[in-house]
Amino acid sequence: MKKLVFDTIQRLQHPKVQFADVRLTSTDEQVIRFERGELKRYGSSLDAVSLGVRVLVNGCWGFAGTNHLTRGSIDKAVQRAITAAEHGSRFRRDKISFAAHEPTTGSYFFRPQEDPFLMDDEAKIGYLAAIAKQLTGHDQIVQSTVLGIFYRQYKIYANTEGAFVDSLVYDTRGEISVLASDGEQVFNRTWPGHMAARRGGFEVIRDYEFERWAGIIVKEARDLLTAPTITEERADIIIGNGHLALQLHESVGHATEADRIFGMEISYAGKTFIKPEMLGSFRYGSDAVTIYSDSTDKAGIGYHIVDDEGIPGRRVDIVRQGILVNQQTSREIAPQLGLAPSSNMLATSADDFPLIRMSNFCLAPGSGTLDDLIADTERGYLLDFTKTWSIDDNRYNFQFTTEIGWKIEDGRITGIVREPTYFGITPEFWGKCDRICGPEEWSYHGTFNCGKGEPGQAMHLSHGVAPARFRDVVVNVKA
Amino acid sequence: MNTTMHAELSALCREHPELKIEFHHQNWETDFLRFFRSQVNYNVRRESSHLTASVYKGQRSCSFSIEDPDMAAVREKLSETLAIIDQLPPDPDFVDLEDDLRTVPQFEYVNNIDAVPLATKVNILARLASAVEPMGFRIYGTFICNHSHDRVINSNGVDKSMAHSPVMLEVKAVSDSNEVTVLQSYGGESLDRFDEEEFTRQLVGKVQAATREVVDVDPGEYQVILSPRCLAEFLQYLSWLMSARALDQNISPFEGKVGKKLFSEHVTVRDNPHHPGLIRCLYNSEGHLYQSLDIIENGVFRNFLVDNYYAHKTGLTKNGNVGMCLEFEPGDTSLDDMIAGVKRGLYVSSLHYMNFMNPRETSVTGLTRDGTFLIKDGKLTRVVNNLRYTQRITEVLERIVCVEDTSVVVPFSTNYDNFAILTAGMPHVLVDGFKISSSTRTV
Repeated sequence: MKKLVFDTIQRLQHPKVQFADVRLTSTDEQVIRFERGELKRYGSSLDAVSLGVRVLVNGCWGFAGTNHLTRGSIDKAVQRAITAAEHGSRFRRDKISFAAHEPTTGSYFFRPQEDPFLMDDEAKIGYLAAIAKQLTGHDQIVQSTVLGIFYRQYKIYANTEGAFVDSLVYDTRGEISVLASDGEQVFNRTWPGHMAARRGGFEVIRDYEFERWAGIIVKEARDLLTAPTITEERADIIIGNGHLALQLHESVGHATEADRIFGMEISYAGKTFIKPEMLGSFRYGSDAVTIYSDSTDKAGIGYHIVDDEGIPGRRVDIVRQGILVNQQTSREIAPQLGLAPSSNMLATSADDFPLIRMSNFCLAPGSGTLDDLIADTERGYLLDFTKTWSIDDNRYNFQFTTEIGWKIEDGRITGIVREPTYFGITPEFWGKCDRICGPEEWSYHGTFNCGKGEPGQAMHLSHGVAPARFRDVVVNVKA
Repeated sequence: MNTTMHAELSALCREHPELKIEFHHQNWETDFLRFFRSQVNYNVRRESSHLTASVYKGQRSCSFSIEDPDMAAVREKLSETLAIIDQLPPDPDFVDLEDDLRTVPQFEYVNNIDAVPLATKVNILARLASAVEPMGFRIYGTFICNHSHDRVINSNGVDKSMAHSPVMLEVKAVSDSNEVTVLQSYGGESLDRFDEEEFTRQLVGKVQAATREVVDVDPGEYQVILSPRCLAEFLQYLSWLMSARALDQNISPFEGKVGKKLFSEHVTVRDNPHHPGLIRCLYNSEGHLYQSLDIIENGVFRNFLVDNYYAHKTGLTKNGNVGMCLEFEPGDTSLDDMIAGVKRGLYVSSLHYMNFMNPRETSVTGLTRDGTFLIKDGKLTRVVNNLRYTQRITEVLERIVCVEDTSVVVPFSTNYDNFAILTAGMPHVLVDGFKISSSTRTV
């Protein structure tokens, strides 16, 4: 495979090609899903190989991808990419150019503690089947699921500057959920929530302690059937990690993708309220809020030696003590903002065009435990586990509903509430963040399904978060 | 799929009478131009071939997929599957694979990847860009041509083939000064129905409306004209809850509601692959013949969308529909008259980031996009900031008070993986009491 990539990039060393890169990915994925205790899906897609060629010719990108790895198909892809750039350049006024970058070479091979692709199938399925059985046979529980998705991708990246890197990573997503019904209403509970993916193998599934959480979510789902709703107009809220990762993702992560500033995503994902002149001065949040992108942390799904245009992994502060100081950028866009590329250009597979994507996008921890934070809150709600999310195409107005909330009175949890829904305007909301828990509460929460781009790509990425408190938030929105 | 592979996959089904096997093979290609600021962003040319197989031994099942498949790889994967399938727990709900053997002839079509080359696309876009530029707008969007060939083969003798080459153009004109946006789109099986002059006229008309002052409105209930695109999107979301799968999973609000009047009498919705102008669908993904199905008739809920698996599980009659060709029957009011009849209300062009808050209630939240306008005394008067709505979809359909006398073809791209381009035939509708919960303060 390396020779195939090497030969292809050599063919692109041509005077009319300003820059080119070639990627090859080989992806394995296995899905196991139980519903109501019964195995509904055991499926695999192994050795899904694809190759992508991206070229910059006449100041315009052209791209071609294929999963036919014959010499003839690769030749055709090279020619198609060049032709696309040449024809496209006739409708390209602002010609693309960027500075050369010192080439990186290297390899990274992640080793899971328990390789799900080498494990005995019976053991793997048996483990999840036992969890699935635990979720059945309960009054009012009308649906239950157990999901395990195991992913492995080998990637080779090469460009005409001489970069040549290969890597192997493993990501695992595991989730259990139940739906309770009293014949009229239905309420769901999941664990570990919406962002249930992490770097690793089957050990990720074991770390989630599904055996312990099965009973908890069954009880909570049933309790939600008779739980009250929030009655106040506004309240102080603490957001737990099972939802805060998504709050960060939607209202800061996507908002600070710089391709949105230039309208490159208007046709689908949208724009951003951020303008270039805000960099360095705009107050995005309170002093407590520091947010960074860190593709150098091997613990997160977003680790890489280089991104998908050859920029080495970096840690970049995006919001420092509340002030917007940087963006997630590409080699094309960074110079237009006076920035260095942030190593965020990534594609899901080799036959996808790379886009500015989050890698490990994190909220820096503060201090203290969640118990300390609850004790420090006179009245309010602890909200956790995403149920519904929605944000406008400027990433400014959001509304989220969580599966469950816990009422806090005089620093203690006194009961649960159902379907707590809160609404906010991004910078105002982060400006109300007055306290973030410490490193002991900070953890990564990842997804396999961050959608962006056209054709669309579902990206793997992760967020490091610790529970945080937000003051005086609108919490009473009803349909 | 070549004829040898086709014959060998069929033979493989026959070689294993102890199994039920379903193969789905797809050759897929896209030529996908994405543009922004009236210039090319990038052009993606991608091709792939892909095979998925579902293998059942009694009620035990396992599935696999192969990229760029050949028969050696299929036999190897099948052999691996047979080595583990007896270890798997059974699915007591599985009864049988699809057994609909009816076929229809493949319609003639052109391969639009060849028929609409990049040079042609770029020329059309350059003319559209020139048309809106004098008003301070630039164009953003996509110009897509796909070509796919699908074949489904299974142990019950199903052997269906379907080819498509849809085309879709979606143009957003965005103001350089304040980012007010309007949208014009085209989709179909070819560019034959694409009337560039009319497309440009409509786009320019929308741009002219978008140059008006931008205002905000307070949260509350409004009389709203939903564009055909918005109506299609609400119905697509609702159709998910009209599936037998949703019924089985206890999240459908339509349980026990077949034959009951749930919506305004103005609401008649079909899943109709024969609707003129829509992209045709011969079969669903399991090979079931795709036929017209009444879903809502004069406000009465008529049918669930029922696939093979959930037909067996729920006992509902299988129809194989999945809501790919939704059609809302036009009414008797012109759009001009509809607008003229609104004292104070909103015109909504497009929806964004809608999600269910509670599927059983059909409650959703989402936002308006691509042009929201204030209607005052029967006229579009101002541009309104994008707004958040928090609303039950069933209430939208209950509160439809009139329907436009014509419908348009609304194209959608499913966008992900080997994506499809779908179309729906929809009119404008006037809805009372549409719930706006907040303003985004932006356009």
